[in-house]
Amino acid sequence: MSEAIAMEARELGKKYRRGWALRDLSFRLPAGRVCALVGPNGAGKSTFLGAATRLVRPTTGTLELFGVPVTDPAVLPRFAFLAQDKPLYKRFTVAETLRTGRELNPGWDQAAAERIVRAGDIALDAKVGTLSGGQRTRVAFALAFGKRPQLLLLDEPMADLDPLARHELSGLLLAEAAEHGTTVLMSSHVLADLEEMCDFLLVLAGGRLRMAGDTDALLPAHTLLTGAAEDGALPRELTEGCTVVEHRVTGRQFTALVRSEGPRAELPDGPWETAVPGLEEVLLGHLRPSEAPPLITAAARPSTPLEAA
Amino acid sequence: MSTLTDTRPATARSRGPLHGLTWLVWRRNRTAFLLLAAVTVVSCGYCLYHRAGVLDFVAQYGNTIRYSEKFEKAYKEVFDRTYDLSYLPALLGIFLGAPLIAGEQEHGTVRLATTQSVSRTRWIAATVGLPLLAVLVCTTLISLAFTALWTPANQLVNYGDWLGGTIFDITGPVPVALALFLTGCGMAVGMLVRRVVPAMLLTLVVTTGTSFVLDWLRPRLATPHTATGPASGDFPAIPDSAINFDQWLGTADGRLLGWGTCVDAKNEAACQADQGIVHKIVEYFSLDQMAGMQWRGAALLLVLTALIVAFIVQWTRRRPL
Repeated sequence: MSEAIAMEARELGKKYRRGWALRDLSFRLPAGRVCALVGPNGAGKSTFLGAATRLVRPTTGTLELFGVPVTDPAVLPRFAFLAQDKPLYKRFTVAETLRTGRELNPGWDQAAAERIVRAGDIALDAKVGTLSGGQRTRVAFALAFGKRPQLLLLDEPMADLDPLARHELSGLLLAEAAEHGTTVLMSSHVLADLEEMCDFLLVLAGGRLRMAGDTDALLPAHTLLTGAAEDGALPRELTEGCTVVEHRVTGRQFTALVRSEGPRAELPDGPWETAVPGLEEVLLGHLRPSEAPPLITAAARPSTPLEAA
Repeated sequence: MSTLTDTRPATARSRGPLHGLTWLVWRRNRTAFLLLAAVTVVSCGYCLYHRAGVLDFVAQYGNTIRYSEKFEKAYKEVFDRTYDLSYLPALLGIFLGAPLIAGEQEHGTVRLATTQSVSRTRWIAATVGLPLLAVLVCTTLISLAFTALWTPANQLVNYGDWLGGTIFDITGPVPVALALFLTGCGMAVGMLVRRVVPAMLLTLVVTTGTSFVLDWLRPRLATPHTATGPASGDFPAIPDSAINFDQWLGTADGRLLGWGTCVDAKNEAACQADQGIVHKIVEYFSLDQMAGMQWRGAALLLVLTALIVAFIVQWTRRRPL
C-alpha cells in the first residue's frame, strides 16, 4: 500500500449557465503535502475549492477526501475551509467565535485555537468586527485549526495582509501543519509564498488542469532554452524533439520553456543555451495559453478505475 | 511549545440546553429573542393585570352589549394598547424572519456555518426551526393572555365586534399561525433575495399583502347563518353576540335583492310589492362560529407555513451539498 491520499479527483467538472468552470479534473494529492493551487483569475480555483468544501455541487465526476466522497456529510469533520473573505460573525467576540467552533465540531481543540489567538495578542473578549484584517485572519485560522482537520483548504489566505502579518501567519500555518501532519491546499497568486511554503503544485488554466505534482519532480522536468531563432520561429529540431510549453521570439532570439520527461528525456542538441528554470518561469509558462499537454507526475496521477477496484 | 504538556481534554464541551447548533442560533439572534421574550412578558403581564378589573366590571354589570358604552369609557385605552399586538406577526416577519438567512448569505458566514462538522440539513433545520419555535411559544402565550382578557368581556369590548376589527386576529390560534406564516415568509424572501435590507422591505410588502388577503378571507371562513322575516316588518333580530354580515330582500321565487332596493322609494310597501319582495333576510355569524373560523384560518396559514419551510429546506439542500 502506498502513502495515504488526501484528495482524489476523477473527471471532476462543474458547468454553470455560462459554460464549464471546471472540466475533466483528475489528480490525487498525497497526504501531508502543502499544495499550491495556482491559476489566473477565472481558472476555476474557487469552483474547485467550492466542490471540495461541499459549497458547489459538481456536474460530473467524483471528488474524495481521504477516501470519503464529498457528497457524504461524513467528510465534513475531515477538512477545514478558510474562504477568501474570511467570513466570521462580526458581532461575536473572539471567545464566542471559538465557541462556535467548539459547539459545531466533535474533534475541537480549544487549547490549540486559544494558543493561536493569544499568540497574536488578541483579547478573547474583543468583538470580531473591531479587529484588524490580520487579526481577523488569525482568528479565522484559529477556527480552522481548532477543528483539527486532516486537510486544510485555504482560498487566497494571505491576499489582504500586510507583509508582516503575511510572514507571521504563513509561519503559523506551516508550524501548525507540520505539528499535526495536516495536508494543506491553498490557492494563491503570490509566487513568493508558493516558493517558500509549498511542495506540491496544482496548476489550473481555463478550468482544466495544466500541471500537477511534487515541486521537486516538476521543476527538473523543464529546461529553459535560449538561442537564435530560425526565420522568426523556433528551430524545427526543438518543436519536433520535445514538448514546448511556451516560447517567445524577440528579434533574432528565442526563449523557450521545454519539457523533457518521458521516453524522450534527452533534449535535442543544438546551438542554444540551456538553463534551469525557476518556479516562476515554469508556472508562468503553464498559466499562459499553450498547446502542450498537461503534465501530471506519477505522484499526482489518480489510480485507474481498475486499480481502485 | 506547550502542547506536549497541555493535558486539557481536546473537547471541553459545554453542557446545558444551549449547545451545538442551538447555541449558535441563539447567539446569532440573541437580540431578537430577548426582545421577543420581553414583549411576551410585558404583554402577558399587562393582559393579566387588567383582567382582574375587567372581571370586576363584568361581575358588576354583566357581559352584555348594553353596557359596552360604559365599558369603552373605562377600558378603551387598555384595549387600544393591546390592539398593537396585531403588528407583532408582521414585525417578526420583517425583523426576525427576513435577516435570518439573508444575513448569513450577505456576510458570507453561511460558508462558515456549513463547513463545520454539522451537515447542511441540520444547520438549516436549526436555523429555521428554533426561531419558529420561539415565535410559536411566545405568540401562544400572548394569545392565551389576551384571549383570557377578552373572553369574559367579549360582548363589551369593541361593542362586541369580534370579526371586523383586530380581535379576530389576536385571539385564539390566529396570531400564532399568522406569526409563524409571516416569519416563514420573511425567511424565504431573505433566502431568495440574499440581502438583508431589500429582504426586509420585500417582507413588508408581503405582510401588507397578507393583511389584505386576510380581510377578504375572514368572512369566507364559514357560511353565515340566515334569519328570515316578513318584508313588512323590520329586518329580523339576531343574537347580541352575532355579527351582522349582510342583509337582503328576498322575493317569492327565491331571488335576493340588495337591502337598499326600496329605501329611496316614496312608498316602501308599494315598491316591495312591485318587486315581489316578501322576505327580509339577515346573514350573520354567531359567536359560536368564531372558534371554527379561527381554526380554519389558522390551519390554512399553518399549511402554507409548512410548505414554505419545506421549500426553504429543499432549496438550501438542493443547491450546494
